[in-house]
Amino acid sequence: MDLAFYDMKQHKGRFIATIFGVGLLFTIVLAMNGLYRGNIDEGLALINATNPDLWVVERYRGGPFNEQSTLPEFYHYSVKAIPGVEKASPFIYYSVERLIAGKSRHFSIVGYDVFDGLGGPQKIYAGRNIQRAHYEMVAHRKLGVRVGDRIPLGLHTYTVVGLTKEAVSTDGEALVYLSLPDAQEVLYQKDNEEVRSQRERLLRTLSGQSYLSQTQAEKLLAPLESDTHIINAVLVRLKPGANRPMVARLIEKWLYLSAFNTQEERQLMLKGRLAGMTKQLLLFRTLLMIISVTIISLVVYTFTMEKIRSIAVMKLIGAPDWVIVRLVMEQSLLLTISAFLFGVVLIGNTYSLFPKTILLVPGDTLLTFIVVFAGGILASILGLWHALKTQPAMALGG
Amino acid sequence: MEILRIEGLAKIFGSGHIQVRALEDINLSVSKGDLVALLGPSGSGKTTLLLCISLILEPTMGKIVFDGQTIFQKNGWAGVDMRRVRREKIGFIFQSHNLIPFLTARQNVLFPLDLVGMNGEQAESRARELLEYMEIADRADYLPSLLSGGEQQRVAIARALANNAKLILADEPTAALDTTRGKRVMELLKKIAKENQSAVIVVTHDVRMIEGFDQVIHLKDGRIETEKTNAQN
Repeated sequence: MDLAFYDMKQHKGRFIATIFGVGLLFTIVLAMNGLYRGNIDEGLALINATNPDLWVVERYRGGPFNEQSTLPEFYHYSVKAIPGVEKASPFIYYSVERLIAGKSRHFSIVGYDVFDGLGGPQKIYAGRNIQRAHYEMVAHRKLGVRVGDRIPLGLHTYTVVGLTKEAVSTDGEALVYLSLPDAQEVLYQKDNEEVRSQRERLLRTLSGQSYLSQTQAEKLLAPLESDTHIINAVLVRLKPGANRPMVARLIEKWLYLSAFNTQEERQLMLKGRLAGMTKQLLLFRTLLMIISVTIISLVVYTFTMEKIRSIAVMKLIGAPDWVIVRLVMEQSLLLTISAFLFGVVLIGNTYSLFPKTILLVPGDTLLTFIVVFAGGILASILGLWHALKTQPAMALGG
Repeated sequence: MEILRIEGLAKIFGSGHIQVRALEDINLSVSKGDLVALLGPSGSGKTTLLLCISLILEPTMGKIVFDGQTIFQKNGWAGVDMRRVRREKIGFIFQSHNLIPFLTARQNVLFPLDLVGMNGEQAESRARELLEYMEIADRADYLPSLLSGGEQQRVAIARALANNAKLILADEPTAALDTTRGKRVMELLKKIAKENQSAVIVVTHDVRMIEGFDQVIHLKDGRIETEKTNAQN
């Protein structure tokens, strides 16, 4: 006779309310799992999609994503000259916040050599890739633009020629691909009035030097003005058969730069920018699991205590211990499993509504289920302990 | 045929200087179909004796022979599975009925049958038969909370009879009922003793309820004060 089933049938409302409440907690646990995976997936998406043989960045810097790295643009010629290098492309990456269709949007810009360079979008799902040196852009669909839209950025307006849905920025925002000079212009080009004002200030400073004539000061003005030909990294493709560690060592030794392969670049992110959030999410998940198991434990304990006289009667009329164990444990596991299934269904139908990417991995869900199942058994222990030590004599008397 | 024999039974709680003698030198013999009343004021040892007979409380000394098998002797329990004896041979009726609240009347009767491995149509038929015998078959699918006190007690008696118990122990079965319903329950117990040939031991305060009992045992301070058999009534 399935006593647990009959008890739950009689207390449907309370069981459903408990399943709903604990199920919501499990939904949050599963969402945290998805957030954890989504955080890593997004953080590494651009690295994985770009995937050159080497990332060359400023020396002793973990750039270009985990840490800022700035290099003069011409350095890619130096890298190209290293034996074993087939192609060396300038690469620029930065975050901006601009008005897109009247709304302030945070996104990241990738600037790359659009004519046979590395670092551009891998797959275009609508439109085409950038084919001109200026005023064309490819955007991630997250930005909410369509092919043909004209987007003003800085001093110029860019036409959306293609859309991607793969890589996003390391913080999960949309990516916009521009040609390298366009990206540099959006990042470094100052307002004309500000340029004039800075030029005047510099000229005044130079003219004030007693060893410079006015003509000499004016000649020095142009080379001393700030340079916009700055990049963040050089992406390298090696010649077939080239020894990657050897080429990296040559770049570091002769060009005083740092070179990482894609795996090392991933590790820089995982141990750097992503580590804090990853630990935070792990802590939240652990705490939520403990809270869930504690709640189930208290609910099962309360249910058991309410039945304690019936349990005493069962013992008195000779019910073996396994009948009592089955009653308590079955309720605990049914509550746990039902709440977990509720959580799985709920997160499965709502994950797309979360602002950050929730990446649900079956392996994580299975692992969580195993932990939850063990938690359900653990949760029933307090109730079981009380039920098993109940004296049958309790059934006697008024 | 003797179902229960108790010889020199004593139960002492505590140890050393602080000892309470709850039962002392209890001798009792109950045969098939006997109807026995245990009377006595509060603290006289009725419940302690019932617990010893129920094989829940271990006596300090004496001997208990149940259905021809020595269950307890001076060295302690005689290696018997007490729960098994209870579920197969003893039926219990309680003062507050003690039906399992989340099971219907029918399921409450089915429960002890399930414990001895009887299920399916055989168990259903037995439960139906018992509920009809107790004249409560029309309430078979009601939860205890929807039954009156008298109806609940009749279901409890049906449950106690489910496994053809050789001994039925009733702890103040009429205490929670009015006089009319109480008398009706006592009549049922008499009927059971006669028709089923089960020995019935009833613990009660109420002397008005024990008319027609085969033995009436008065307990006082843990000792049998007076004992009357049917012949002496």
